[in-house]
Amino acid sequence: MRPRTAAALGAAAGLALPALAPGIAGAHGLQGRADLPIPSWLFGWAAALVLAASFAALATLWPRPRLQKVEERPLFRMPGWIDPVCGALGIAIFVAVVYAGFAGTQEANRNLAPTAVFVIFWVGLAVASILLGDVFRAFNPWRSVALAAAWLARRFGYVRRVRPYPERWGRWPAVLGIVGFAWLELVYVPRPVGPQTVAGLACAYAAIQLVGMYTFGIETWSRRADAFGVYFNLFSRLAIFERRDHTLYVRPPLSGAPPWPALAGSAALLCVAIGTTSFDGFSNGPVWAKLNPDLQSFFKDIGFGTNGALMAAGTVGVAIAIGVISSFYILGIQGMKTVGHGHDARELMGRFAHTLIPIAFAYALAHYFSFLAYNGQAVGYLVSDPLGHGSNIFGTAHATIDYGLLTGATIWYVQVGALIAGHVSGLVLAHDRALAMYPDVKEAARSQYWMLVVMVGFTSLGLWLLSAVNT
Amino acid sequence: MSRGRRLGLIALVVVIAVAGFVIAKSGSNNKDKSATVTETTKAGTKEITSTTTQVAPVPIEVKNAKPVGGVKKITVNKGDPVRFTVHSDVSDEIHVHGYDFHKEVPKGGTVSFDFPAKIDGVFVIELENRGEQIASLEVQP
Repeated sequence: MRPRTAAALGAAAGLALPALAPGIAGAHGLQGRADLPIPSWLFGWAAALVLAASFAALATLWPRPRLQKVEERPLFRMPGWIDPVCGALGIAIFVAVVYAGFAGTQEANRNLAPTAVFVIFWVGLAVASILLGDVFRAFNPWRSVALAAAWLARRFGYVRRVRPYPERWGRWPAVLGIVGFAWLELVYVPRPVGPQTVAGLACAYAAIQLVGMYTFGIETWSRRADAFGVYFNLFSRLAIFERRDHTLYVRPPLSGAPPWPALAGSAALLCVAIGTTSFDGFSNGPVWAKLNPDLQSFFKDIGFGTNGALMAAGTVGVAIAIGVISSFYILGIQGMKTVGHGHDARELMGRFAHTLIPIAFAYALAHYFSFLAYNGQAVGYLVSDPLGHGSNIFGTAHATIDYGLLTGATIWYVQVGALIAGHVSGLVLAHDRALAMYPDVKEAARSQYWMLVVMVGFTSLGLWLLSAVNT
Repeated sequence: MSRGRRLGLIALVVVIAVAGFVIAKSGSNNKDKSATVTETTKAGTKEITSTTTQVAPVPIEVKNAKPVGGVKKITVNKGDPVRFTVHSDVSDEIHVHGYDFHKEVPKGGTVSFDFPAKIDGVFVIELENRGEQIASLEVQP
C-alpha cells in the first residue's frame, strides 16, 4: 500500500472514532463546575478543519528546514538580583502553601494548598510557560534552596565532587514524577485530595529533589529528573522568549523545541503527559463507565478494600490511556522506519518526540482551561483566608468564583482552538525535522505522512474525548 | 506557486467555507430545545421530555442514602428555572456544586430547589456529608 494511501486511511480511521455518549461531570481533584461536552456540529467542523489543514500544510510548507538552528535575538539584560528575588519568592510561596495545607481546614475548597497546587501551579504555570518562557526555573523553590546552599558552600570553601548522572536514566525520573502527580490528581481516593496530603507530598517531593541535586549536581538533575522543571521547560520551548544567563532573547515561536535534547525517556515523557490528560477525559466517558465497575469487582474479589479497588481500577485506566497514546506514537515511528534507511526506531522516537510538545499542551489546555479560569479565581479569596479559619488578610475573603466570566460556548472554542493550533504546530515541527533527517526530498515527504497520521489521530482523540457527538 | 500548493490551498478554502456555512446553520438550530429529564440506569437511558413552558419539579428519591434509579440527569437551557425536589430517608445536606446551594434535608423529609440556571456547565448535586452524587445538572448555553 502506498504511504499516502495508508496515511489517508489512518487519518480517516482516526477521525471516524465513533463518539459515544457524552461525558459527565469531572472533578479534577477540586469540585465545582465541569465542562459541557463539545456539541457534535463543532466536533465535526473541527475534525474537518484538522484534516484540511493537514493536507494543505503538507502541500504548502517550506522545502528546507527552518527551525533546526535557533535564530534568536537578544532583547535586554536582566538585572542580577532577579534570580535571588524570584527564588526567595518561590520559597516563600512554597512554605505558605505547605503551611496552609498542614495547619488549615481540611476542606479542600476552603484551603489554599489544593487550589495553589492543582490549579495555579500545574495548569497556570504551564500556560505561563507557553507565553513567557521558562518562568518556573527562576521560582523553583527546591532549586533555589539548592542554589543558595551551593553559594554558601562555595563561600566557605566547601568543595564536593558530584556523581555522574547515569545516562540511561535520562528523563525517566521526570516521567515517574508526572505519572505520580497525575495519579494523585485523577485516581487517588478520597477526592478531592486533602490539603494535608498535598502539603506532605510537596515536602517529600522537595526533599527528593534536594537529595538528587546534591548527588548529581543542580543543573544535571534539574534538566533531567525534576518532573515539574522538565514539564514546564517542555512548554517553554514553544514560547518566543528564552532566558540564558542574564540575557533575555526572543526567537520564532516553536523554535525552542527542535534543540530539546532527546535524552532517554523523552518520548515516554510526552506520551505520559498526553496519556494522563487523556485519562482525565476518558474517565468521564461511557467506555470507562462500563469498564470501571468490572475492574473494581475484580480487585475486590482478590482482596482489595473499597478504596483500594477504586484506586487499582483507576491505575489500570491510566495505564490503558498511556498505552493507547504510546502505541499510536510507536506505530507512527514504525511506519516511518520503513521510509528510507539509516534511522532505527529508537533514534526516530527520540528525534521526533519534541513534535508532540504542542499536542501535549493542547490537551492540557483543552482539559484544564475552564478549571484554571474558574477555580483559579478562588485564589482571590483563598489568599485572604488561606487556612479557611475566617481570616481576611487582604479583604477579599468573601469574594466568590464568577462563573459568568466565560460562557460555555467560549470554552468550547478555546478547547477546539487549542487542539487545532496544537495539531498545526506539531505538523510544522514534524515537517521541519523530517526535512532535516531525510536529505532526499521524496523520503522526507513520505516520512511525514506517518507523522501526519499520528498527529491527526491524537487531535481527533483529543476532540473526541471532549465531545458529545451523540445528541 | 506550484500546482500542488495551489490545489491544497483551494481545498482548504472550500472546506472552511463549507464548514463555516454548516456551523452558522446548525448553531442557530441549537437554541430551541425543551427541558429534558433523563434517568440514567445500568440498563440504558429513558428520556422524559416535557415540552411545556412550565417546568415541573424533578423528583429525586433517595433510599438508603443512594439515589433510586441511579444518578438523575437534569438538563436545562441557560436562563431556564431549575426545579427539583429531594425526598430522602436519611438526613444529610444537599449540595449543588458551582451554584453552591446547600439545603438540609431531614430523615424522611423533602426539600425543594428552584433557581434560575445562570451558569452553564455540568454540576454535581450530592449528599454532602456522605459524598454521594444523586443528580447531575447540565445547563446548556
